[in-house]
Amino acid sequence: MSVEAGGAVRTEAARGGTGRPHDKGAGFWFGRSGLVVAGILAAIGGYLAIGIATMDVPEGAKVPGPQFFPTLITIAIFVLALLLAVQTLRHPEHVVEPAARHRFHTDWKSLGLVFGAFLAFALLLVPVGWMLTAAMLFWCVSRALGSPRPLFDVGLSLVFSSCIQLAFGAGLGLALPGGILEGIYG
Amino acid sequence: MESLSLLLEGFSQALTPINLLWVFVGAFLGTAVGVLPGLGSSMAVALLLPVTFSLDPVGAFIMFAGVYFGGLFGDSTMGILMNTPGGSTAIATTFEGHRMAKDGRAPQALALSAIGAFIGGLIATTLVVFFAPKLAEFAVLFGPAEYFALAIFAFIATASVVSDSTIKGLSALAIGLALAVVGIDGISGASRFTADLPQLFDGVSIIVITVGILALGEVFHVASRIHRDPKLSAIPVAGRPYLSKREFREALPAWLRGTAFGVPFGVIPAGGAEVPTFMAYGTERRLDRRRRDPQFGKGAIRGVAAPEAAGNATSGTAMGALLALGLPTSATAAIMLAAFQQYGLQPGPLLFERNADLVWALLASLFVGLVMLLVLNLPFAPLWAKLLLIPKPYLYAGITVFCGLGVYATSAAVSDLIIVLAIGTLGFVLRRYGFPLAPIMIGVVLGPLAETSLRNAMMSSGGELSVLVHSPVTWVLYGVLALVLAYALWKRVAEKTRQDV
Repeated sequence: MSVEAGGAVRTEAARGGTGRPHDKGAGFWFGRSGLVVAGILAAIGGYLAIGIATMDVPEGAKVPGPQFFPTLITIAIFVLALLLAVQTLRHPEHVVEPAARHRFHTDWKSLGLVFGAFLAFALLLVPVGWMLTAAMLFWCVSRALGSPRPLFDVGLSLVFSSCIQLAFGAGLGLALPGGILEGIYG
Repeated sequence: MESLSLLLEGFSQALTPINLLWVFVGAFLGTAVGVLPGLGSSMAVALLLPVTFSLDPVGAFIMFAGVYFGGLFGDSTMGILMNTPGGSTAIATTFEGHRMAKDGRAPQALALSAIGAFIGGLIATTLVVFFAPKLAEFAVLFGPAEYFALAIFAFIATASVVSDSTIKGLSALAIGLALAVVGIDGISGASRFTADLPQLFDGVSIIVITVGILALGEVFHVASRIHRDPKLSAIPVAGRPYLSKREFREALPAWLRGTAFGVPFGVIPAGGAEVPTFMAYGTERRLDRRRRDPQFGKGAIRGVAAPEAAGNATSGTAMGALLALGLPTSATAAIMLAAFQQYGLQPGPLLFERNADLVWALLASLFVGLVMLLVLNLPFAPLWAKLLLIPKPYLYAGITVFCGLGVYATSAAVSDLIIVLAIGTLGFVLRRYGFPLAPIMIGVVLGPLAETSLRNAMMSSGGELSVLVHSPVTWVLYGVLALVLAYALWKRVAEKTRQDV
């Protein structure tokens, strides 16, 4: 299994030392942003609870019915959300930044760019077509991650997306949308 | 010796030119994805899943056999050269491996890990050939209660052993289970949690979840840190990887001991190879301290050899557990299970009867794949290391495009792209706050099995809960689970006391 479990926080703790923990004077939320996860869990639990309450159970469904197992999960989720919230409140995360100071632990600008690019990719894929949207996605992500040559990247991303179109579309027979370039190739 | 003749038949199928090509492609791509930073063997399987859709099942699984081990061969390369393991299974190899590399012995470290992975995989796969059919015969006796016990075992062991915090592990598991119950209920036909969207009637596809949590989540995580974290550089590999006779003799006992640690953990659903690799590493270190000239800390050969053999041995027997019981014991095996289901095949005791030709062709390809991987990895390790030179922006841009391709190619549905984005965001948040991701995968894959077996068991007993613990097999499973939990607890307490000193 090669899922990397919690690399971010552990390396943070290991690297500490040089910087100083700057939760002094910062607000209550500092180091407690982990409450977000408890919130997400509670939201999932809420969605499941509403779903269970409003579920159309077909007549004659045997006991235990379709609501039984989700009910168990929902209870577990609410208990875990509560425990997580308590744990985060009692032990806030001590974020130690190396040298440069940033307002947030997370680089929201790069992250937002990658997120937006993928969202645009999802929405434009069918109308615009694979070649251009995939190239756009490649270009935006490489830009967000600090690629220094935007013009060169335009060429590279077009080559990349066309190669995939050729290999998977023509070679393996996957149906990739042609979009506005439909008819020019393929 | 029925197994042998069946295996030979499998070989005759696996050794046709076209199937050899598929093993090679799988091994090649698996190694490549494994070597790349941030991607381990489970991502290799997840990203390459769509590639196999146009193949027939036998060809697809033969290719997977290569990918399956390929990812493991690759992921220690980065740990050794850059001191950042490609996945959790490579952490233990990294300690001594990187010291060897800094010492100018990078080729030897790579050779140790490649041969170790080969030996571990070879022994484990051989055991699978002889014992998996027996295990399958035994598993025919399993009823819903036994399968429920197995699922519970996998849930609790993965959530508590793998993660630092049990609450975090259980939360990840609960999220996985919640994702698994979306869709039409197979028993009653009720539509559950679909918000009346037809796209959700079939549930959230395992591929969407895997790509979202493991691949897209990783890209988001890298994006959030790339301008903040210090840059890493790889140690160049000079010369071809080789081992002198003396080094080989030094490493051999460690390889075998590592394999011995890895083999049982493939069958126990305790979250994969992380635990046995660390156990193998710890044992070698203890043994080393008793020697006249302790090597640990200076780049010990055995410190690389043992964990690497343990990791691949675990994957080898995990394949046996998957085929014979239908039980995935690691995230990679969980995705392999999804691949089987994609082709309408259900791993488990009956697979050996119904799809015997496919099973034996797959097992034979595992052997072929191992030999190919050794050839690919031993002389060409310096070439693979060149992959680490790909600029990060392009690497992750490519991975993102492949995420989009993989998801869209599976279903041709834009809704899946939106779902994968949401799940990727969830994966990012969980990574950010140090939640383990393996329990999510285990929850998603085993959730349906746990639910149907629980409900079937209770339906047949008329709602009696005692049916869940009526047979000796369930006693054994819950008993071993209790032991595993006791061990995890003891380890945690021991760590705490050591920290205090």
